[in-house]
Amino acid sequence: MTLIELQDINKTYNNGQPLHVLKGIDLSIDRGEFVSIMGASGSGKSTLLNILGILDNYDTGTYMLNGKLIKDLSETQAADYRNRMIGFIFQSFNLISFKTAVENVELPLYYQGVSRKKRHEMAMDYLERLGLGQWANHFPNQMSGGQKQRVAIARALITKPQIILADEPTGALDSKTSVEVMQLLKQLNKQEGITIIVVTHEGGVANETDKIIHIKDGMIGQIEENTSHNAWGGSVIK
Amino acid sequence: MRELIYEIGNSLRQNRLRTALTGFAVGWGIFLLIALMGAGNGLSNAFMNSTGEHISKSITVEGWRTSKPYAGYKENRRIYLDKKDLDYTSGAEWQGVISNVISATSSISVKLLLDGNTVDGSLVGKMPEHQEVEKIKITAGRFINTQDVAEQRKVMVVSTSHAKELSPNNPEAVIGQWVSAGSLAYLVVGLYYHNPNDYYRSCHIPYSTYKGIYDRSDKIEAISFNLDGYKTLDDYEKFEKDYGNAIRRIHSVAPDDRRGVWINNGYVRNINSSNSANMLNTAVWVLGLLTLVSGIVGVSNIMLITVKERTHEFGIRKAIGAKPRNVLSLIIAESVVITAVFGYLGMVLGMLACELMEHTVAQRGVNIGFETIYMLKNPFVGVDTAIKATLVLIIAGTLAGIIPAWKAARVKPIEALRAE
Repeated sequence: MTLIELQDINKTYNNGQPLHVLKGIDLSIDRGEFVSIMGASGSGKSTLLNILGILDNYDTGTYMLNGKLIKDLSETQAADYRNRMIGFIFQSFNLISFKTAVENVELPLYYQGVSRKKRHEMAMDYLERLGLGQWANHFPNQMSGGQKQRVAIARALITKPQIILADEPTGALDSKTSVEVMQLLKQLNKQEGITIIVVTHEGGVANETDKIIHIKDGMIGQIEENTSHNAWGGSVIK
Repeated sequence: MRELIYEIGNSLRQNRLRTALTGFAVGWGIFLLIALMGAGNGLSNAFMNSTGEHISKSITVEGWRTSKPYAGYKENRRIYLDKKDLDYTSGAEWQGVISNVISATSSISVKLLLDGNTVDGSLVGKMPEHQEVEKIKITAGRFINTQDVAEQRKVMVVSTSHAKELSPNNPEAVIGQWVSAGSLAYLVVGLYYHNPNDYYRSCHIPYSTYKGIYDRSDKIEAISFNLDGYKTLDDYEKFEKDYGNAIRRIHSVAPDDRRGVWINNGYVRNINSSNSANMLNTAVWVLGLLTLVSGIVGVSNIMLITVKERTHEFGIRKAIGAKPRNVLSLIIAESVVITAVFGYLGMVLGMLACELMEHTVAQRGVNIGFETIYMLKNPFVGVDTAIKATLVLIIAGTLAGIIPAWKAARVKPIEALRAE
């Protein structure tokens, strides 16, 4: 079942000189897929991810997410869709530094108006599942990179989103932790059936996903089925 | 709401120095507003007090000598008020404007004697209402009452300084004693406060007693009454003209002969002094608010920096679902909390400053011969002012937060996330 349907998406930045970043992207991603988007820097992969995450808008084309047309939304509507349908995982974690781990995880539910007690229970539950129960009351700067990324993953999961968008999720982690994080994402995809899209420029990370979408100069180059995880000759995370 | 307070507490704790500096600007503004207001009130209270002992809302009409010939009469004719004037004054024409009409007698000098102590006194016939009109302060016993007047009792209210001379050891012991005054004796029923520097002091006896013994004519020395409902000088001047001319007509005195029938213009002074008190009050508010404005600009400035510093955080919040209005209310609430808390602190300190003034400056008076003038009297601000100041604070906090909050709410999440 199609979850994401992009048709002829174009995006141009007008900073002095017009820069045509996305040149007619057509893409469809089914529910339950574990996909990576690969490309060099400047290829337009981050812009694509931002459009998928309703953080940025596009100029022409159509974007359907879970059967809803995502176009010309008000800020309030966009915030609501992001909150309910999308979970973000960032390279730099993007945790709020003056909030504890559990408070960070609770935050999306706060914006849904969930009661304090309920969301605290839920946040604790997710932290436990990611093995961070004892770290619930620590601040981000008291945790390791891997722990921070797991807190961020818990925050992305707590609203039970349709889709998780991960922007270079291992970019700031060492190789051992990177493997752990990718294993965790893989496990979430297999066990919970959550659709996950990972943006990366690292072959080893892409190789962990089931489908690799190559993007080059604002266009989709090649879509590689990778269920056997043998891309780049079975490349591993360095 | 609890969430919001918690969020604000978090962010304020993160930036203690910044919070303290911002708070200082607002607190200082409110402190100055309250302290200035207290001093201003003290000043106008002191002013009202020094002029207010003899004036009030009451008007006194007296007859004297005409200054020009009129209606066949020569000039310099002595005019005496009488019952006709009294009836006219309390008549239907001035219903609702004139109240508490009372008449006063002339005075007669006598020697008071008690147990060998003597003192000069002048007896004046008074009505019970004179206590209010002349603001007589009774320190012991009572003033003349209606029964005294009805029964023409031989009772007397003397000043504290009379009492001191009649009974040096225990002035209050004169109450209940019969004091000789000329050929008669009066029972002292009360003492009234007399400023020792004030030259004029009289011994009050019932009006009817005076008229029965010392002045059997129907002449009235002066008519006093309370005047209500005139706020401006123009209104009052029209009253004085209409009323004065009516009295002058009764006695065939020229309409513009102010000496023939003389009207005490204490009311004008009353209007003037309350006008200047109002002006002082307004000036203080303006000064205080201007000071507060600099505080508000300070808060606004700091909030702008805060918003800039926290752009990335707002980006995160927006990415995970914060709506523009969530961000807006967060900033405005933060601004209101800073202004309200520190403003309140400034207000409390301002009140303490008023208390300090009360214990220092307000206690020092300057003796100018017949009375002591105080620079300040009750330099405090009322509850209404405190409530107004609080409202001003909350409005100010909102204003200070609006522009920064709007900026924060408008920034696109993608740009905010890129900011570092």
